[in-house]
Amino acid sequence: MAKELLRIEKVSKSIGKSTLLHPCSLSVREGEIVALCGGNGAGKSTLINMIAGISRPTSGAILLDGLAWSDDRVAYADRVGYMPDEFQFGSALTAYETLHFYASLRRVGSDRVLELLETVGLLEVRSRKVSTFSKGMRQRLLFAQAMLAEPPLLLLDEPTNGLDPYWMEAFGRLIRSAAGNGQAVVFSTHQLNIAESYADSALFMVAGHVQYSGEVETLKEQYRGAGGLYGAFDRIVASVAPMEREGE
Amino acid sequence: MLHLRTIASREIKLGFRNPWAYSFMALFALFSLALLLIQSQAGLSGYTSTTGTMINLILYLLPLMTLLLGSFSLTTEKEEGGWRLLSSFSLRTRSYIWGKYAGLAVVLIVIVAFGFGLSGISGTLFGRGFSLQAFGLFLLFSLLIIVQFLGISVLLGALCRNRWQALTYGVGIWFFLILGWPTILIAVLGFLPYLFIKPTLIALIFMNPAELNRLFLIVKMGGGSILGPEYYQWVKWIQQPMGSLLFAGVLIAWIIIYVEAAAGLWERGRRRG
Repeated sequence: MAKELLRIEKVSKSIGKSTLLHPCSLSVREGEIVALCGGNGAGKSTLINMIAGISRPTSGAILLDGLAWSDDRVAYADRVGYMPDEFQFGSALTAYETLHFYASLRRVGSDRVLELLETVGLLEVRSRKVSTFSKGMRQRLLFAQAMLAEPPLLLLDEPTNGLDPYWMEAFGRLIRSAAGNGQAVVFSTHQLNIAESYADSALFMVAGHVQYSGEVETLKEQYRGAGGLYGAFDRIVASVAPMEREGE
Repeated sequence: MLHLRTIASREIKLGFRNPWAYSFMALFALFSLALLLIQSQAGLSGYTSTTGTMINLILYLLPLMTLLLGSFSLTTEKEEGGWRLLSSFSLRTRSYIWGKYAGLAVVLIVIVAFGFGLSGISGTLFGRGFSLQAFGLFLLFSLLIIVQFLGISVLLGALCRNRWQALTYGVGIWFFLILGWPTILIAVLGFLPYLFIKPTLIALIFMNPAELNRLFLIVKMGGGSILGPEYYQWVKWIQQPMGSLLFAGVLIAWIIIYVEAAAGLWERGRRRG
């Protein structure tokens, strides 16, 4: 059995009177791929931001390799590779310069930068300014940024947004390969086919509540006749009180 | 230190690729060249009305340019998600803020030095420009204004949420410290008993980097008499050897206070998440 890498215990997030995430718990093992599924406002990005150390939980604890963010920020951050959902690249830097900047902060050399640019299919256009890139190309560059230091945990917020079918499949292969090397991957998506194809476990989130958490294979088996993960999600969401669904 | 250097070097790259930087440089070179031509036609030396105008030009342009470029650099990162991504790195807040400060300082210093260089070369080639001492003092004055106002701009960038807010407050600060200062000073001092005027005035001079720099330059250029006999008596300590040291000490202290305050505010936001 692989070692537990990430433990989330009754973590919640509120801003003022609004609750973005109700208490939820999760355990992620080395080499495991976890998909956070849900619509807009489900709380996926809120949870990812807290795991990445960008925002603090209102209650509960997040332990990465036994470390809390507040215990040792540097050691914690060195264990995470984070890909944000909303990110606007500045207009002045090229793809190589952008990735090289993040590589320097991670103390990673130029060889790795070039290797990753090739992996995400941007080596040929490395001298082009990122501002001229399509959404898909920018997503690939952000994904490469997260993978720079080969951290134990990859946190990817809507990584397949804007990717064409070829790169969507390539993304699947890349996270499978990362998991094969022992890295844990947590990604958010509203594309259930991605979760179904590549994730080991899934969390179904609706209006800040985790409605289901478990293995994808079990769900697929359970809802075989009802359309796999799509069917499972529909039925689970349908079982949630209408007031909660409106919060989405 | 590696992180600070990395942030600074990216800031330098971004700064020199920013069209704003070149617009300011062109504007600055153009005006200083025009003043240089007036000076050469008049055939005057030392502290003249032209040098006074040059000081005003520097005081109007450089603080505003520095306040906007500095605060925008930080607020842009907040708006565009750059800081959100960086905050997932093992990057210390102080390295980030000081790196930004150092990078921006290099960009602005190079721009202004280049502008001065252009007008200096033109002055040498086509006529009598400012004396070497005056030229050196102008350059020093400009660089000091930059490093000082850059500290304020970094603090402003840490306080503001977006570029609009930074623009509004930046112009407000510029107006208060540069344009409104003499009026505010006269209005405030008029209410004080005579005995309190001198210490209050001296304390207020130290609160405003533009005023402190302006007085330092005027006194060092031998133009202290334009301040009036009484005021000059109060600020002639600048002329003494210890005056320069005290001046440098105050400037360094203010820069550290501004930048550290910005880092403290930024860190507080980061901890609160």
